[in-house]
Amino acid sequence: MGWKDAAEPVLARMPAVARPEGHVPFRRKLGWTGGILVLYFFLTNVTLFGLDAATANDLFGQFRSILAGQQGSVLQLGIGPIVTASIVLQLLGGADLLGLDTDNNPRDQVLYQGLQKLLVGVMIVLTGAPMVFAGNFLPADQAVAASLGIGTLGVKGLIFAQIAVGGVLILFMDEIVSKWGVGSGVGLFIIAGVSQQLVGGLFSWQGLGGTSGFFPTWIGIVTGAVELPASPTDLLSTIFLGQGQLLALITTVLIFGIVVYAESVRVEIPLSHARVKGARGRFPVKLIYASVLPMILVRALQANIQFLGRILNNSWAAMPAWLGQYTSGQVTGGLFYYLAPIQSRSDWMWFLGLTSADPLDIAIRVLIDLVFMIVGGAVFAIFWVETTGMGPESTARQIQNSGMQIPGFRRNPQVIEKVMERYIPQVTVIGGALVGLLAVMANMLGTIGAVSGTGLLLTVSITYKLYEEIAEEQLMEMHPMMRNMFGSE
Amino acid sequence: MSKGQNSGGLMSSAGLVRYFDAEDRNAIRVDPKTIVATGALFGIGILVLNALAF
Repeated sequence: MGWKDAAEPVLARMPAVARPEGHVPFRRKLGWTGGILVLYFFLTNVTLFGLDAATANDLFGQFRSILAGQQGSVLQLGIGPIVTASIVLQLLGGADLLGLDTDNNPRDQVLYQGLQKLLVGVMIVLTGAPMVFAGNFLPADQAVAASLGIGTLGVKGLIFAQIAVGGVLILFMDEIVSKWGVGSGVGLFIIAGVSQQLVGGLFSWQGLGGTSGFFPTWIGIVTGAVELPASPTDLLSTIFLGQGQLLALITTVLIFGIVVYAESVRVEIPLSHARVKGARGRFPVKLIYASVLPMILVRALQANIQFLGRILNNSWAAMPAWLGQYTSGQVTGGLFYYLAPIQSRSDWMWFLGLTSADPLDIAIRVLIDLVFMIVGGAVFAIFWVETTGMGPESTARQIQNSGMQIPGFRRNPQVIEKVMERYIPQVTVIGGALVGLLAVMANMLGTIGAVSGTGLLLTVSITYKLYEEIAEEQLMEMHPMMRNMFGSE
Repeated sequence: MSKGQNSGGLMSSAGLVRYFDAEDRNAIRVDPKTIVATGALFGIGILVLNALAF
């Protein structure tokens, strides 16, 4: 265990948000969550100092809705570094390379927390530096460079410093929400971004400067202000795929429905209290047992591959064609094209003339995306369950410690673990693969407000979890005894 | 409680970053208010810089 002793002095001293002393009332929790949300929205509106915003382009591209943040703002990096660090940790932890026992050993928990922070810091540099210094994603403003007299490189340094501070702020804001608020900051920021886009896609009107949203367009169609084509085929395509966005509305509602339904599908293992007669409960093994967070990791893995491609394209003039071909910043051929996930209808609906790509190429790309998401979804779900203490062994111990038992079985952690092993691994794999499949389909059909299907999927699921958590908080607020029973705080 | 509504209580609905109760004695603890204030001041500072530059 050499690395632990060597790293402990650094990892144990990582700055952390102080924990609340004692119980935080539900209202205060909501207050903290709301406050952080306001700060988040404020920071997404602060444009980077020294940035030549007119020529900047977003390295995150269509992954933005999953990675949160805002192009050109101090929150440029969004949760990108956190997600990438989490991928690394999941892979290391899932393969048990770290040798940290975060379930029982407090010292290992401290090390794990420190390692998380350190990795996020490393990822801030690794994602931020190429964004600023390689390629032309965040170009420096020449006027600012001239007036400050520090040259382009100096201004780029300033931009990098700002997005790095933004990245660190996001990390600490997540910590505040996790410790003092409801849910997690990461989830909150994803919901915030997607909801904003969704509301924009539904209600915004042309007077605001953007494209007309769903409702204003339909008001226009009904009142005759929007001209519809006369021929029946054109009419149908306009209503469903074009301005009318009916298909997008159907997909959006469908994703809502499917996710909420899938959240409620579960195997319930009955529990009874060992001493208090009549106190019964159920342990739910949900279909989406590992939650949809592993999906962020798989998508982020794809995103990182695409960043690599775009950065290579920008800084390596002699990039071979088999690796990637780009036209005006968009990948159109080569390995990186096949690895790029389908983001919207315009990526694959060749029969409507939305893309000029060869149908065979599109089919290969869809197939790769499907395999990546389904296999990746299942693998990351397994890792997720293992590393977050939701596996059979950990849940068995939790149930044992809460004083519950499975009726009809001996009160023993090993016995509970045996029962759990019949359900948890299978449900995890099926759930992970299913969410992967859903994410691909959602992306292919497109949604209102051009939110990526995966983004919407995440948002609905996170919101549902948040709702459950709030309900639970209220229950505990009403019955303080429940707190002791279920051991939270 | 009579309804047996304890779903979720045992399950960790953790975010991507995980925080444990265990903390090292030497760790630097930051008050959440300090972070919110820093974030807000940082944002305002950059807004002011942007306003001054143009």
